[in-house]
Amino acid sequence: MSTILIIDDDPRFRTQARDLLEADGFSVIGEAVDGASGLEAVAALRPDFVLLDIGLPDVEGFEVARNLAIDGPPPLVVLTSSRDARAYGRRLTNGHTLGFIPKERISGAAIRALVEGG
Amino acid sequence: MTDPQTFNRVRALLLFIAGATGVGMLVGNAQQAPLSLSTVLQVLVGWSFVGCGLFLWSRRRANRLGQLMIIVGMLWLFGRTLTLVPNPVVYTAGLWLTDLWAPAFALFLLSFPTGRLTSRADLAIVGIFLFVTVPLEFIWFLFLVLDNGLNALGIAPNESAAHVIDTIQRYLISLGSVLLVIAIGRRWLRSSGPVRRQMTPVLVGAVAILLQSASWIFLSSGTRLEPLDNLIFLAQIAIPIAVLFVMLQSRMARAGVADLVVELGQTPTPARLRDALANALGDPTLQVAYWDASQDRFVDAAGMTLDLTEIGAGQAVTMLERDGVREAAIVHDAILLDDPGLMAAVASAMRLAVENDRLTAMVQEQLQEVRASRARIVEAGDLERRRVERDLHDGAQQRLVLLSLELQVARRALGDAGDPAVRRSLDRAAEEALAALAELRDLALGIHPLILTESGLGEAVESLADRTSVDVSVDVGSERYSPAVEGAAYFVISEALANVTKYAKASKARVRVRGLDDHLSIEIEDDGVGGADPRSGSGLRGLADRLAVLDGTMTIVSPPGGGTRISAQIPTIQPTAAPV
Repeated sequence: MSTILIIDDDPRFRTQARDLLEADGFSVIGEAVDGASGLEAVAALRPDFVLLDIGLPDVEGFEVARNLAIDGPPPLVVLTSSRDARAYGRRLTNGHTLGFIPKERISGAAIRALVEGG
Repeated sequence: MTDPQTFNRVRALLLFIAGATGVGMLVGNAQQAPLSLSTVLQVLVGWSFVGCGLFLWSRRRANRLGQLMIIVGMLWLFGRTLTLVPNPVVYTAGLWLTDLWAPAFALFLLSFPTGRLTSRADLAIVGIFLFVTVPLEFIWFLFLVLDNGLNALGIAPNESAAHVIDTIQRYLISLGSVLLVIAIGRRWLRSSGPVRRQMTPVLVGAVAILLQSASWIFLSSGTRLEPLDNLIFLAQIAIPIAVLFVMLQSRMARAGVADLVVELGQTPTPARLRDALANALGDPTLQVAYWDASQDRFVDAAGMTLDLTEIGAGQAVTMLERDGVREAAIVHDAILLDDPGLMAAVASAMRLAVENDRLTAMVQEQLQEVRASRARIVEAGDLERRRVERDLHDGAQQRLVLLSLELQVARRALGDAGDPAVRRSLDRAAEEALAALAELRDLALGIHPLILTESGLGEAVESLADRTSVDVSVDVGSERYSPAVEGAAYFVISEALANVTKYAKASKARVRVRGLDDHLSIEIEDDGVGGADPRSGSGLRGLADRLAVLDGTMTIVSPPGGGTRISAQIPTIQPTAAPV
């Protein structure tokens, strides 16, 4: 079973994402509310995937993804946002991430589609 | 003598007297001997003075110079005519008047052009001439022995005494003449331009009287150097004519004022203003004093205090006031006061310049204010757009995302269980939520493209192109510009591409943005039907206004059937960076 860490500051979204992903066969092994604690959690938990919100309170998700790529075997990072891809353009395809899924489309199937598509 | 009729009668009478006296002189001389050139010239000298004096008097009523010229001419004519009458009283009066001509002439020369003496030195010179021709002359007459015996005052005939007095008189007259030449010569040297030209005939007159008095000393009594005399007479004929000419020629100076007005129209610096005034008035010593109301004083262009009560001799001050409030003063050669019209014209020109400066500064200030406020309005609008986009994102958009996810969670939880109608209803609700979210995102993107502020014009335009239904090739660099410039460029391209989609029926379009030295050049072309009219309220109009805030320009070429080409230029160096 693939493990996943959710980094998002909105507890309602974290709950919904956990429900949807666990229903789709992912094991949500942790949650973090911002970039700093997210990095710590990744270091501690070593998840296979990270569901990473772009609009974090302390730092942009892009920055967190870049940091994750620096140390150790990086998890597969899935960026998400309540904005859609048009708001970010090429920043979504920077090589550090698996891809982008708008929040309302989050599902295990969507993540697997990214893995297969990438 | 304000009544014009009386004035004209007096002038006609004087003209008649001068004419008759001159004719009498000619006739009287002709009776004694064949008429000589010298006699004719002497009559002409008198007529010249009286005629020109009368003319000048009529043109410049306030100026005493005309009257002085009439007196000089009359003394000249009377003296020379009365000595033709073999009557002791008349003859003696004639002789005396002939000599009294000299102080009158000196007064005329020294009082040019105002008709008034302005310095004590001038007064002293005239005094010398008067001393010689009144008291000394009287004493001389007492001793004088005349061959024809026509001396009415000769009560103590004594030839040697008369000779001594005569010699003293000649030397004093010569001294006076030298001083006269010096006084007028200095004035001539001190002035320049039009004023110097005006002074020239007077200087010639002074030299003439010096030559005459010198000839009296060096030539023994009775000897006459006729060619020299005739030359002097010719000069004396010319002097009143020349004086009249220059007096009426202050129009020349007024032409200078016309140049001045042109110069002042270009709002010159204080230094150039002074030079322009000095040139227009032919007065190199001219100074402009500005009134400093805060400290109750006049200052020069450099801000140094000017004490107008300590101006030099022969200088005068013309005040410039507006609505009774002091603004400036011109310190100038007093000679310029002769023509009050001239100074009034100069003062008006200065007042115009000062007023023009004031209004220009005011308009400039208002323009700056308007530009700044327009920039602030646009800037405030942009900030507001960002705020609305963020609010949409943080608020409605988040809630729709959560709603949409919650519906999916519910649908999943339900699985294949439950009422099929409820399952369908949940599916439809989830779709509706997604559709609402999509519309909301379109709206947010239209209000403010986050990608523009986050990633710049290049990516924002790529993103725009992706959303345009026709094939758009994008050639935009990755340089960043100020938010205002990027915003304006983005909205121009966005509006242009929207028009391509809506109206142009194009198969492809091209967007090109070039960052040049000092401006951004934007071009959007399509191969559509053309005929776009920027006045027909297609959003393009609002773009022109938006560009104008940045001093940008936009041109639209859209011939029917020939595609549309919109180009815009936006300065990237904002010289009038508006304070926010």
